[in-house]
Amino acid sequence: MMEGVRRAFERFRRTPAFMGFSLFIFVLILNIVVQTPGQFFSARNMNSLFSKNVPLLLTTMAMTPLLISGTLDIAIGIQLAMVNVVSVMVFQQWGTSLYVGFLMGMLASLVVSVFCWFLVSVLRLPAMLASYSLIYIVRGINVLVMPSPQGRIPDAFYKTYDMRLGGFFPFSALFPLVVLIAWYYLMRTRFGRNIYAVGGNPRNAFAAGIDPVWVQFQAFMIKGVITGLAGIALTLMTASGNPLQGEAYGLRSLSAAIIGGLGFGGWGSMACAVFGTGFLVLIQNTVYYFFSLLTKAIPGFTVTSYWQNLVSDVIIFLGLLMTIVTAKGQREALRQGFVRQFKRRERLGD
Amino acid sequence: MFEMRGIEKRYDAVVACNNASLRVAPGEIRALLGSNGSGKSTMVKILAGLVKPNAGEILIDGEPVTINSGEDARRLGISAALQDLSLVPTMSVVDNILLGVEPMGRFGMVDRKKSLDDAMALLERLHVDCDPEVYVQTLMPSAQSMVEVAKAVYMKPRLLLLDEVTAALHRDEVEILFELLHELKAQGTAIVYVTHRMSEMFEICDTATIMRSGETVADVKTNEVTLDEIVYYMTGQRPEAEAAHEVHHMAPEAREVVLEAEHIAIYPKVRDISLQAYKGEIVGIGGLEGQGQPEFIRALFGAIRPEAGTIRYLGEEVHFRSPADAVNRDIGFISGERNREAMFPDRTVAENIFAGRAARGMTFAYLSAKVVRDFAQAAIKTYNIVAGSIYNPANSLSGGNQQKLAVARWIALNPTLLLLDDPTKGVDVHSRREIHRILRDCADRGMTIIISSSENEELLDLADRIYVFYEGRVSGVLSGASKTPERLVAAMMGLAQAENNAVKEAEQA
Repeated sequence: MMEGVRRAFERFRRTPAFMGFSLFIFVLILNIVVQTPGQFFSARNMNSLFSKNVPLLLTTMAMTPLLISGTLDIAIGIQLAMVNVVSVMVFQQWGTSLYVGFLMGMLASLVVSVFCWFLVSVLRLPAMLASYSLIYIVRGINVLVMPSPQGRIPDAFYKTYDMRLGGFFPFSALFPLVVLIAWYYLMRTRFGRNIYAVGGNPRNAFAAGIDPVWVQFQAFMIKGVITGLAGIALTLMTASGNPLQGEAYGLRSLSAAIIGGLGFGGWGSMACAVFGTGFLVLIQNTVYYFFSLLTKAIPGFTVTSYWQNLVSDVIIFLGLLMTIVTAKGQREALRQGFVRQFKRRERLGD
Repeated sequence: MFEMRGIEKRYDAVVACNNASLRVAPGEIRALLGSNGSGKSTMVKILAGLVKPNAGEILIDGEPVTINSGEDARRLGISAALQDLSLVPTMSVVDNILLGVEPMGRFGMVDRKKSLDDAMALLERLHVDCDPEVYVQTLMPSAQSMVEVAKAVYMKPRLLLLDEVTAALHRDEVEILFELLHELKAQGTAIVYVTHRMSEMFEICDTATIMRSGETVADVKTNEVTLDEIVYYMTGQRPEAEAAHEVHHMAPEAREVVLEAEHIAIYPKVRDISLQAYKGEIVGIGGLEGQGQPEFIRALFGAIRPEAGTIRYLGEEVHFRSPADAVNRDIGFISGERNREAMFPDRTVAENIFAGRAARGMTFAYLSAKVVRDFAQAAIKTYNIVAGSIYNPANSLSGGNQQKLAVARWIALNPTLLLLDDPTKGVDVHSRREIHRILRDCADRGMTIIISSSENEELLDLADRIYVFYEGRVSGVLSGASKTPERLVAAMMGLAQAENNAVKEAEQA
C-alpha cells in the first residue's frame, strides 16, 4: 500500500502539473494562515472566491487545449466581452429569453475561434501576432454591437450564480466542474492522444497519420465552447453588458497557464490550468489580507491598492521564474544521466 | 509486391532522386544502400508519405497508388522507423507506440488496459526494459530507437521501412531486432532495411538495391556479391582496406602543432576522437553522414561542450565557453548550413562580409560607413564574388556566391585556425573550385584549415591529411601515398576498423 502511494507520488512528481501544484499548495497554506482557517473556509468566502474568479479560471482552461496543440490565442479576453455583449443585446433588443442570448453568445465565440484557427493553422500566421490583431477586430465588433455599457439581466440569473448549493457548494463552481469532466472524457478518446502529438511534434504526428490542421480545429472548437461559458459566467457575475471589459484576461490566463506548468506545445494538462489560476487568484487574496492585517496592527499604516498589486505581481514573477528554472534543471539532469549511462556502457567494454 | 519506378525528387537545383527504383516482395528483406546524399532516405520518406516525388510511380501488387500523407501510407500497410525518429518526446512510451492506432473501448474511449498490455508485450519482445508510462524523452537514445521500431511494427505492416535504426543500438540490441525481423519475414512482411553497416547487411538481408547520387545502379542478391563489389556500386571505387588504418604522421619536429584534440567525446555521436593539425596544413574530415563530424567541429569552436577529452590550441589547453571565445583566439568557423548558421539574408552584402570583423573589437567602438565599404569592396574583388552592389541584400546572391561571402568574411580576418563544416554543400562547381583555390592560398600563407566534407573528391583534392570518422571514432588517417579514393572508401565503410576490432577480439580470446 505504502509502496503504491510512493510510486504514484513519484509519477506525479514527474508530470508537468507538479510545479504548479506545489506553488498552489504553498500559496493556499499561506492564504489560510493569513486569513485564519475559520474565515477562509467559511461558506461566504468560498463562494465569493469562486464567483469572482470563475471567468478567469474558465479562460485559462480555454487556453489549455490551444497550448497543448501548439498554438495560442491572446484575444481570448476580449472574446469574453463579445459573448457578454451579444448575449445582453440579443436579450434586450430582440426581447427573447436570456438563454437564447447565451446561445447566440456561444455561437459568436465559436465563429471567432474558427476565424482564429483559419489565420493560425491554415494560413500559418504566427499565433501571437494574428491573435493580437484579433483583439482589435473583436473589440471593434463589440462596440458596433453595443456602443456603450448598458443592459441588465433578470435578477433570477445572477442570484442563481451567487447561490450556494446545499448551503456550501458555490453554484459558480459548477462551470469549471462540468468543463473538467468533459475534458477528462475527451482525454480518454483518440483526440486526447492526437492533441499532444500535434503539439509535441507536428511532423511526426503527420507521419503517424494524424492531420495537424484538423486536430487544431478541434482544439479551437473546444476553446470556443469554454470561452463561451466563461463569457456567460462573466455576464452572470456583472449582470450587465460592457463591450470593453475582460481584455486583460487574455494575458493573465496565459501567465496562469505557464505558471501551472503548461508549455508551448505538447506539454501540460488541464490540471496545470487549474493550479496556475489558483496560484494567481490566491496570491492576490493573500496579499490583500496581509496588508489589511498590517493596517490593523500598525496604527496610521495605509497603502494604495497599487502597492498590493506590485507585491502580488512580483510574487507571480518569482513563480514564473521558478517554473522556468526547474524546467531547465530537469533537462540538465536528464542530459547528465544519459552521459553517465553511456560512460558505464563504454567502460563495460561494449 | 511493392514497387517504385522512375522516382524523381528535386529540391530547387539539388537532385535527391533521379530515375530511382525499388522493388520488394513479401517475405523479403531488402537492403537499400548508398553513400552520402544518394537518395536512400528520400526513397524511404516518399514511401512513408513525408515527401512527395516530382515524378515516378508507386505500385502495390501491380496497382498504381498515390501516397500523399502518413495516413495514406498507413492505410496501404506501410510503416516506417526513421533515422531521426518519429516519436513525440513529450508523450509516454505507450502513447507513442499506439499513436493513431489506439485500441478503442466503450464510448469512443481508448482502451487503456489493452493499450498497456499490447505495448508491454511488444517492449518485452524487444527486450526494452522501461515503464511504458514514462515520457520518451527520458529514455536512452538506444531505447528510443527500439520504441521507434516497436511503433512501426505494432500496426502489423505489409511493408516495413527501417532507416538506419541500428545506428544508436548496441550489438545485443541489434541481435534482438534481427530475431524480430526474421519472425516478420516468416510471416510474409516485406522489409526495406537502410544501413551503412555492411556486416549487418550481409547478416540479415536477402537482396540489396544500391543507389548512387539519386539513381538506382544495381539490384543484387547479397549471397552472390562480395563486399568489394557493393562498395564499388556505391562509390564507383574499389576499396582497398589493407593499409587504410595506418597512421601517417609527419615528422612532428618539422612543424608546429596548432591544434591537438585528444579523446574528445560528445555523447552519443562522438565517442573517442583524437586529431592533430599542423601549421599551414589542410586537414580533411571525411566519413558517411552522421558519424559525428559536425559535433566534433563545433566542439573545437566552443559551440558544443565535449563531455570528455582535452583540446590544446597553440600549445595550451583551452576550454571555450562560447564561439566568441574562439573568435577572440583567432579561430574562424564556416558552416555549410548557409541559411541557419552563416548568412544574415536580409542584411547587405557589405554587412555580411564585415560581420566577422565586427565580432572582434569593442561593442561600442565607432565604426564609419567608409571602413565597412572599403573592407567589403576589397573582399569582393579578392574573392571574385559576383554581386550587383555591396548594398544589395545577401539573399540576392546565388548560393555559390553566398558561400564565398561566408568564406571571405573569415579569411579577411586572417585567422590562425579556420574550421569549415561541409562548406561547399549545394555549391556549383565553379564557385567550389574558387573556394578551394582560396583555401589553398591561405594554407600556403600559414593558415591552418580543418575542413569536414561529405564529398570524397573534395577531400582528396584539397586535404593534406584526411581523418575518416566512423561511428564516432577515427577509422583511418590518410596522407601521402595512402590518400587514395579506394582507401578513403574503405575507411568510410568502417572496413579498416572492422579489421582492427577483429584483431582486438582475437587478442581478448
